[in-house]
Amino acid sequence: MPAAPFPERERIDARDKVLGATAYAADIPLPGLLYAMMVPATTPKGRVETVAVEGAMQVRGVVRVLTAFDFPALPGPPPTPATEIAYRGQPVALVVAETLEAAIEGAEAVRATYAGQAFVPLIDSPGAARELVQPKKAGNAQAAMAGAATTIEASYVSPAQHHNPMEMLSTTAVWRDGKLTIYEGTQSASLVRANVAIALHLDPAVVEVKSAQVGGAFGQKIPLQRQTPIVALAAILIGRPVKLVLPRAQIFHNAVFRPKSRHQVALGADAGGKLTAIRYDADHQQSRKGTLEPGYHESPPRMYGVADYDGTAAHVRIDTQDPGAMRAPYPHPAQFAFESAVDELAHKLGRDPVAFRLAHQATTDPISGNPLSSCFLNDCLTEGARRFGWERRPIAQGAMVEPDGTLVGWGVAAGGYPANVSPTIATLRVSADGRTRFAVAGHEMGQGIRTVIAQLLQRELDVDPARLEIAIGDTAAAPQHTTASSRGTVSVGAAVTAAAAKMRAAMAELIGQRSIAGNIHRQLATVRRPFLQVEVSTLGPGQDAGALDRLRAGARAAAGPEYPQFTSFSYIAHFVEVRVEPSTRRVRVPRVVSIADCGRVVSPRTAASQVRGGVVWAIGAALREETEVDPRFGGWLNADLADYVVPVNADIGDIDVGFVDRPDPLFNAVGSKGLGEVAMVGAAAAIANAVFHATGTRVRKMPLRIEDLL
Amino acid sequence: MPRKIRFKLNGRAVSTDVMPHETIVDMLTQHFDLTGARESCGQGLCGCCTVHVDEKPVSGCLSLAWFLDGANVRTIEGLADGDNLDPVQQAFIETGAFQCGFCTPGFIMMTKKLIEQHPKPTDDEIRHYLTGNLCRCSAYPEIIEAVKLAASRVGLRN
Amino acid sequence: MKPFTYARPNSAAEAVKAFAAAGRDARYIAGGTTLYDLMKLGIERPEHLIDVTAIRGLDRIETGGDRLRFEALAPMSAVAADPVVGRDYPVLAEALAKAASQQLRNMATVGGNLLQRTRCLYFRNGAGNPSSVGVYPCNKREPGAGCAAIGGLDRGQAVLGQSEACTAVSPGDWPVALTAMDAAVEVLGPSGARAIPIAELYRLPGATPHLEFMLAPGEMITAITVPKTPAGRRSTYHKIRDRESYAFALASAAVALEMEGERVTRAHIALGGVATRPWRATEAEQMLAGQPLTAAVSLAAGRAAFAGARPGRHNGFKIELGARTVADALMIAARRSA
Repeated sequence: MPAAPFPERERIDARDKVLGATAYAADIPLPGLLYAMMVPATTPKGRVETVAVEGAMQVRGVVRVLTAFDFPALPGPPPTPATEIAYRGQPVALVVAETLEAAIEGAEAVRATYAGQAFVPLIDSPGAARELVQPKKAGNAQAAMAGAATTIEASYVSPAQHHNPMEMLSTTAVWRDGKLTIYEGTQSASLVRANVAIALHLDPAVVEVKSAQVGGAFGQKIPLQRQTPIVALAAILIGRPVKLVLPRAQIFHNAVFRPKSRHQVALGADAGGKLTAIRYDADHQQSRKGTLEPGYHESPPRMYGVADYDGTAAHVRIDTQDPGAMRAPYPHPAQFAFESAVDELAHKLGRDPVAFRLAHQATTDPISGNPLSSCFLNDCLTEGARRFGWERRPIAQGAMVEPDGTLVGWGVAAGGYPANVSPTIATLRVSADGRTRFAVAGHEMGQGIRTVIAQLLQRELDVDPARLEIAIGDTAAAPQHTTASSRGTVSVGAAVTAAAAKMRAAMAELIGQRSIAGNIHRQLATVRRPFLQVEVSTLGPGQDAGALDRLRAGARAAAGPEYPQFTSFSYIAHFVEVRVEPSTRRVRVPRVVSIADCGRVVSPRTAASQVRGGVVWAIGAALREETEVDPRFGGWLNADLADYVVPVNADIGDIDVGFVDRPDPLFNAVGSKGLGEVAMVGAAAAIANAVFHATGTRVRKMPLRIEDLL
Repeated sequence: MPRKIRFKLNGRAVSTDVMPHETIVDMLTQHFDLTGARESCGQGLCGCCTVHVDEKPVSGCLSLAWFLDGANVRTIEGLADGDNLDPVQQAFIETGAFQCGFCTPGFIMMTKKLIEQHPKPTDDEIRHYLTGNLCRCSAYPEIIEAVKLAASRVGLRN
Repeated sequence: MKPFTYARPNSAAEAVKAFAAAGRDARYIAGGTTLYDLMKLGIERPEHLIDVTAIRGLDRIETGGDRLRFEALAPMSAVAADPVVGRDYPVLAEALAKAASQQLRNMATVGGNLLQRTRCLYFRNGAGNPSSVGVYPCNKREPGAGCAAIGGLDRGQAVLGQSEACTAVSPGDWPVALTAMDAAVEVLGPSGARAIPIAELYRLPGATPHLEFMLAPGEMITAITVPKTPAGRRSTYHKIRDRESYAFALASAAVALEMEGERVTRAHIALGGVATRPWRATEAEQMLAGQPLTAAVSLAAGRAAFAGARPGRHNGFKIELGARTVADALMIAARRSA
C-alpha cells in the first residue's frame, strides 16, 4: 500500500550547515598534508614534446612534480597526464609542495613544449564528424505527417554550459599501510574507486572513496574526475596525503559539461487539431572518444500520447573534453525545443496552449507499447493554471502592456523525466544505547537525501532521530550507486522499506510474545541485546541479481524508465510571467508557478526547494548561461563565474511550487517517481513561450538575450 | 619570507606567520582549521568566502592575510554563542534557506550585516545587498524569507 | 605567484618615497580587489607592494564648500552611503552601488577603483596561467603580441574609441559617473602634487593599449573632487547588463541635467560599457542644450552619442542598446526634482 503524505521537517544536517561545520571533501584536516596544483596544457590539440620541471623544483617548498612519464601506460583514453593532448587545459603535470603558495608558484614555473596539430573546435567547423546512433521510432510518423492538416517545423539550439556547483572540484588522497583513501566530492564513490584502481593498477579492495557531503554537483561529479588518479598516485609515490583543489578555470576545461545540441522538430495535427505526428532530429557536441549518448528522445514521446514518432540522434565529434550529464541532461534541451514547437503548433491552430495540452492525456508509452505507470500531467496543468490565473490570459501577443510600455507575457510548458531506480545494498543497525546506523548508497549533494532517509526510517521504525547516523557516500559503508537521474529517493525508499521490515521481523522474533514498553532502543535494552543488525538488498522492477554485482563493481546498475510491465515518468507544468522592458528589452521573470507530479512526496521541504532550484536553473539556461569557444584557439573563453553568467538573487522573483502528491501505483512501495531533474524540464520553453506572448518574437535558441529582442 | 601578523579572531587574540600571497581563506583553513569561509569563484564575486574584518563583510579569497595585522576578524564559526545559534542561523534553518550548504556561511555573514544596516529590509534591499553571494542550488526565494525572518526577530529583541 | 617585498608607509609622502625606492615593478595596493585578482591570473606580477591602507586621514568624504571631495582611501561603500551624495548626486551613489558587490565595495577604495583594469576576456583569461588556462594574444598584456578579441568573440568589446591594437572596454561605473560630472583627480608623485581633470586620466588605446592612465611612475591618486552643480539632483546612473546585479555593463549612461521647465539648459552625459575609456558624449550634450526633453529628443541624443561608433562582429547591438540606455537615463533624470 502506498505511503500516506509525509510531514514537513527540517533538514537533518541543517545545524552543521549554518554553523559552517559541514566538512566537504577539501575540508578534511590531515597531518602532513601536501598541496598540489595542476599544470594545464596550453595547446588545443597535439603532443607534449618536453616538460621542463627544473624551474618548479627550484621553488622553495616544492616536493615533487609528476608528468605523463610517471604514470603506467594504459590502453584507451588516459585518466592521467598524457603526452597526447586532446583539449586545451588537459593536465600536463602536477606540482606537489609543502604549501599551496609554493604549489602555485611551482606550477607557473613548469614549461612544456608541444607539437601542435590541426583541431576542430565547433560542431559546425569543417572536420566535425557526424555519427548517427540508433533511431527511436513508433508507429508510422511519415504517413501521419503526410496526412496532417496542420504542420509546423522549426529548429532550436541549446548551448554548451557548465554546471558550476559552488564547491570546486578537489581530490585529497591518503596512502597509508597499503590502503588508498580518497576524499572528494563525487556522485559516484564506487565508480571512482573502480576507475582509480584500473588507472593505477591497484586492487579495488585497497581503495576507499569518501564523499560524505558534496557542495553541489548537478551531474558534474558523476564520472571519474580527471585529477583523481593523478593526485592518488602523487600520494602513493610521496607517502604523504596530497590535496588538490582545481582553480575554477581548470574546472571549466577538465570537468564534463552540457554539450551544445541542435533540435529539428516537426509536428503534425489532424483536422480536429489533435497532435498526430512527431518528427524530431537531434544532434550534440561530442569529444573524439566520448560516450554520452545523444538520448534526446526520452521525454518527447511520453508527453502527449502520440502513437507516431520518428526520432533520430547523432554525435558530432570535435576536439573538446568529454561532455557529460548536466541537470536534466536530455529532457531540458529536448523539451525546450519540443515544448516551444508545441506552443508554435497551438498558436498556428489558434488554440490556448494549456487547453491544447490538456486534450492530449498520455496513458501509453509509444516506444515500448507498455502503459505509463502513472501520468498526472493534466492535474499539474489544471492546478498550475488555477494558481497562475491563466484564464485571464489574452490569446493574442503583445496584448498585455503596462502604462510604462513594459510588455507582459504569459507562457506555459510541460516537462517529463524518466523515473529511474538503482539496486541497493543496505545495513541497518539499531542499538540498545539509542543509536541507529543506516548504511546505504547515496551522495548528499544538497538535494536532501539524508533528510529523505530520516523521514522514511522514522515512519517505519520508532528510532531516536537525534542519534541517527546515516552513512552514505562512502565505499566502506555500502556499495555506492551513482546518485543522479533523480533515482535517490526511489532507491533508498526501497532499501529503507526492506530494512525496516526485516528489522521488525527480527525484533518480533527476539521479543516473542512479551509486551515491552518504550521505543525500539528501550526494547533492546530491556532484553539485554546490545544491538540488532540486518542487511538487505533490493532490485528495481525486472532486475536480476546481476545488477547487485554491477553495483558492487561500481558499474552502471540502474534501471528505468522502461520496465518489463510499464514505463515510468515524472511530470511537471510550468507557468511563467515575463516582463520585457520597452526600450532596452531586458527580460525579467517576476512570477512562476510550477506543479510537479513526482508520485508521493517524501520530504516536502527539500522537494519544494528542488523545484525552485530547478526553475532558477531554467531561468539561467533560458536567459543567461552559455560557455563559449573562440574557434581560432579552442578551450573555453568565459571560464569564470564573472563571465559565465549564472542567476543571482536579484534575477529571481516569486516561484510558487505545488505537488500533485499522488502515489504511483506500480513503480515502488513508497509510490515516488523522482523530482530533482524534472523540476527544470520545460521551464526554459515556458519562458521563451512567454516572451513570444509578450513580444511576438519567437526565439528558438538559448540563451535568449537582449540583442535578440532589440 | 613569512610575516608575523597579530589580530583578533572570533574574539580571541591570535598571531601567525603568513606568506605574501596567502588569502584570508587560505590562512583560516591552513593555520586555524576554520573551513566555514570557503573559496569558490576565486574572484570575490560569489561570497562563499565572506568574513567580517573590522565589522565589515569582505571577500576572504581576494584579501591578503598579510594585511590583517591589527584587525578584528569574525568568521561563521564565531557567530553562535556556544550552543545558542545566532538568530540569522536559526532563521536559515527554519526557512530551509540552503541545499548543499556550501554558500551558506557567506550568506549568513552577509545577512548579519544586512539586518544591522536595514532593520526592516524590503525584498529589493535584500536582493541587492546579497548581490555578491551566489547559490547554485538556487535557494534564493528561501534566503529572502530567511533574511526577513531574522530581521523580524532581531527587531523584536532590540 | 611571484614573491614580493612589502612596505606599509604611514603617509602619502612616505608611500611615494617607498615606491621610488622600490623601482618600476612596484605597485600601490589598497583594497587589492583588482591588483590581487590580476596577480592570481598571472597578469600582474609586482615585485614590491606598497600598502597604502595604513595612511591616516586619506579616507575623508567632504561635502561642504563648492565641491565634493573624496579622499582616495574612502571605501566605495562609504561614499555610496553618504547621505549628501545620495541626495544631491544620485548619479555618483548609483554608480557606486551598481558596481561590484557589497563585499568588494567594502574593500575597494574610490581612488583605486579609478584604476580598475579591463574585463576583456582575452586580456584576463589569456596569460596561460594555471588559474586562467587560456592562451590568447593581447597587446595590453604583452605589447606587440596582437589582439585576439579583434575577429573573435567580441560581444562585450567596445564600439567607441577602439584601435587596431585593442578593443577592450573600460570596465568602471564610478569613473563614468565622475566623467559626466567633470571631476578632477589629485595625485601625488615623485615630482610633487598636481590635479588633473578626469578626462585626462584615461588614455585611448591607440597603438599602446598597455598604457592606460596618464600617471607617471610612482604617482598615486590621493583624492577626487567634483564641482558642485545643480544638475546633480537631476541625475542618474543607468546600467544595462546580462543579469540584474553583479555584472559588468553591456551599456551604461551617467546623466545629469540642468533644466528650465521642460527645457534642458545643460546636459552631462558619459557612457560606460561601450568604449575603451569613460566616454563623454559631447555631441549628445550639445544637441540637447536648449531642447525640450521628450522621448524622441532623448532617443535622438542617444543616437548622437553613438554617431561615431564602429561595430565589431557580435557587438553591433550595443550601438542601439547604448542609444536607448542614454535615452532612458535622460528620462529618469528629468523626472527627478532639482
